[in-house]
Amino acid sequence: MALLLIILSPLLASFIFFFIRKSVGVFGLLSLAASLVELGSALYVASGGKVSSFTSYFSVDALGMILMLIVATIGLMVSWYSISYLNEEKRKEIIGFRRIKQYFILLHLFLAAMFIAIISANPIVMWIAIEATTLSTAFLISFYNKPSAIEAAWKYLIINSVGLLLAFLGTLLFLYPVLGHAGLVNWQTLLGNAASLDPFVAKIAFIFILIGYGTKVGLVPMHTWLPDAHSKAPVPISSLLSGVLLNVAFFAVLRFKAVVDLAIGPYFTGRLLIFFGIISIALAAFIIFGQRNYKRLLAYSSIEHMGLMSLGFGFGGAGAFGALLHMIYHSLTKSLLFLSSGNIFLRYSSTKIEKVRGVLTALPATGIIFFIGFLSITGVPPFGIFLSEFYILSGGIMSHPFLTGLALLALAIVFIGFLKHVTSMLFGKPEEGIEIGKEASGRLAPLLVIVILLAILGFYIPGPLKSLINSAISIY
Amino acid sequence: MLHLSQTLFFIEIIIFATVIFMHLSKKSSSVVVLYALQSLSVTVLLLASALEEANLALLAVTILIFAAKVIVAPYFFLKLLKKNQLKFSVSSYLNTPLTLIVLTILTIMTHANFFKPIAVIAPANGSALLMAIAIILISIFLIINRRGALSQMIGILSLENAIVSFAFFAGLEQTPGLELGVTFDIITWIVIATVFVSMIHKQFGSLDVTSMKHLTE
Repeated sequence: MALLLIILSPLLASFIFFFIRKSVGVFGLLSLAASLVELGSALYVASGGKVSSFTSYFSVDALGMILMLIVATIGLMVSWYSISYLNEEKRKEIIGFRRIKQYFILLHLFLAAMFIAIISANPIVMWIAIEATTLSTAFLISFYNKPSAIEAAWKYLIINSVGLLLAFLGTLLFLYPVLGHAGLVNWQTLLGNAASLDPFVAKIAFIFILIGYGTKVGLVPMHTWLPDAHSKAPVPISSLLSGVLLNVAFFAVLRFKAVVDLAIGPYFTGRLLIFFGIISIALAAFIIFGQRNYKRLLAYSSIEHMGLMSLGFGFGGAGAFGALLHMIYHSLTKSLLFLSSGNIFLRYSSTKIEKVRGVLTALPATGIIFFIGFLSITGVPPFGIFLSEFYILSGGIMSHPFLTGLALLALAIVFIGFLKHVTSMLFGKPEEGIEIGKEASGRLAPLLVIVILLAILGFYIPGPLKSLINSAISIY
Repeated sequence: MLHLSQTLFFIEIIIFATVIFMHLSKKSSSVVVLYALQSLSVTVLLLASALEEANLALLAVTILIFAAKVIVAPYFFLKLLKKNQLKFSVSSYLNTPLTLIVLTILTIMTHANFFKPIAVIAPANGSALLMAIAIILISIFLIINRRGALSQMIGILSLENAIVSFAFFAGLEQTPGLELGVTFDIITWIVIATVFVSMIHKQFGSLDVTSMKHLTE
C-alpha cells in the first residue's frame, strides 16, 4: 500500500495541478503535501527493511529503498525550495502563472517516473519509466524558452533518446534466456536464469546497457548533454537532475551488473566500470579547474562523482560499500550546492564566476552554506564524502594501485579548482547595485535541513540505513 | 513455413533499404515518406506475430502502432514541413560517396565475426538478426551525420524500428501490456520532439542544428 502511495501521490498532484486556475500558493502547498506523503511512505517501506512488493509489477529491494529515500528526501526539499524560488522569479516577471503551473506538473511527473523506475519489478517497465524521466524533464530544461535552453533541451532529448534505445536493446538481449516464461519477467527471474545467458550475449548486452544508461548517468564520453542541461534548467530541477536522476540511471546499470556477474563473474563488468569511471573523473577534474560558470562547475562535479561511484562499484568489496555511501552523500551535497547556487543566481542574475564576488557579504547565510557544500563535495573531513571516497580508493589500492593514484591526483585537482572558484565567489566586494543581506527564509530553510542531514550522516549512520546498505552490497 | 520466413526476411530487407534511402534522400518530405514505409514494414512483422499467436491484445497494439507510426507521426511531420516551408532542409556532414562508404563498412562490420555469435539467440533467423543490427548502426549514423533536427528525429525513430524488428526476429516480443507501454512512450516522444522541432525553427529560423551555437563552454 505504501508503495502505491509513493507512485500515486506525485501522479495525483500533477493531475490536480491541471485544474488550478488562479492561486499560485496552492501549487506550493499541494506540492509540499505530495512530497511529504512520498517521504513518509518511503520511510515506512524502508523501516521494514525487507523486500516490499505491490502486485507483480512493483517490488523494492534494499538498494531500491535507499534510492527511494534519496528521491523522496531531495524531492521534498526541492518542492519546498521551489515555492520561494518561483515566487521570486514571478516577482521579477521572469515567469508567469502558466509557467509555474507547467513547472509543478512536470516536477511531479518527473518524481513519479523516478519512483516507478526504482520500484518496478520488470526491466522493461523500468526502461519505460527512465525514458519517461527524459520526456518529463525536456520541457523543464527549456523552461525559460531562451535559445540556449532550447538547444540544451534538444541535445538532452536526442542524446538520451539514443542512449536509452541502446539500453532497450540491451534489456531485450537479457530477456532471451527467459523466453517462454509464464507471467511477467522480474529481476528475480533474470537472476535465477543468469546461468543460461550465453557469455557473448551477456557481454554485448551489458555493453549496450552501460552505454545506454551510462549516457543518462553522464559517464564520459557519453556525458556531453549533462553540463548543458544541468546548467540551463531552473535551479531546483538541476538539483534533482544532478542529485537524484543520475543515481536512478546508475541503479539501472547496477541491476543488470548483478545479472551479468552471476552469468560470467564480476571481472568483465568491473573492468568496464573502472574504465568509464577513471576517464570520467580525469576529464571532469581538468574541466572543473578551468571552468567559468558555476552551474556548469557543479554539473561537471556530478560527472566526476558518478565516475567515482563507477570506480567503486568496479573495484567491488570496500569500493562498492564506499560507492553506495557516496551515492547518499553526493545526492545531499549536490542538491545543497545547486539550491544555494539558486540563491546566488537570484541575487547576481549571472551564472558566470567572474561576475559573482562577495557572496559572504551579499548573502551571508547562503555563502556559509555554499562553503559547507564546497567542503563536503571535495571530500574534506569530517564530511561523509571523505569517508566514502576513502572506502572507494581503499577498495582499489591493492588491485589497481596506479588507477587509484590517478583518481587521487584527479581529486586533488578538483579540490584546487573548486577552492579557486569558490574563494573568488565568496570573498571580495560585491559589485555596485547588488543588494546586501536580506535572504528569504523560504530559500534558506530547506538548505539548513540538508546541512543538518549531512552533518548527522557524516558522523552517524542510523542502524536501519546501515543494514540496508549492507543488504544492498551483498547483491550488487 | 519456409515461404513465410522468406517473406519476413524480405520485409527486413525493405526496412534496411528504407534506412539506406533516408541517407541518400535530399528532400525532407522523402525522408518522412521513407519513415512511414519503414514503420509499415515493421507493423507487418508485428501483425504476422499477432496472427501467428492468435493474440487479440497484440493485434490491438499492432493497430495502435500502425496508427501512430504510419499515419499520425508522418502526417505531423509533413504538416510541420509545410508550415515552415522546408523543402530541401536535408544536409549532412559527409558527402554522398563518403556516406555510402561508411554505410558499406557498417554493414560489413555487422556481418563480420564479431557480431555473428549474436545469432545464438535465434539461429534460424541469424541473417535477419545481423541485418537488424546493421539497421541499428546505420540509423545511429543517420542521427550523427544529419544536420537537420527533423532528420535526427527520424533517425531515432528508425533506430526504434530497427530494435523492434530485432526483437521480432529474436522472438523477444513482450506482453501486449508492455508493448503498449513502450508504444505510449514512443508516441509521447514523437509529440515532444515535434514540439521541439517547431521551437527550434521559431528560435533559430532554421532546422539546421549547426545554427545552434549558444552553448559555449
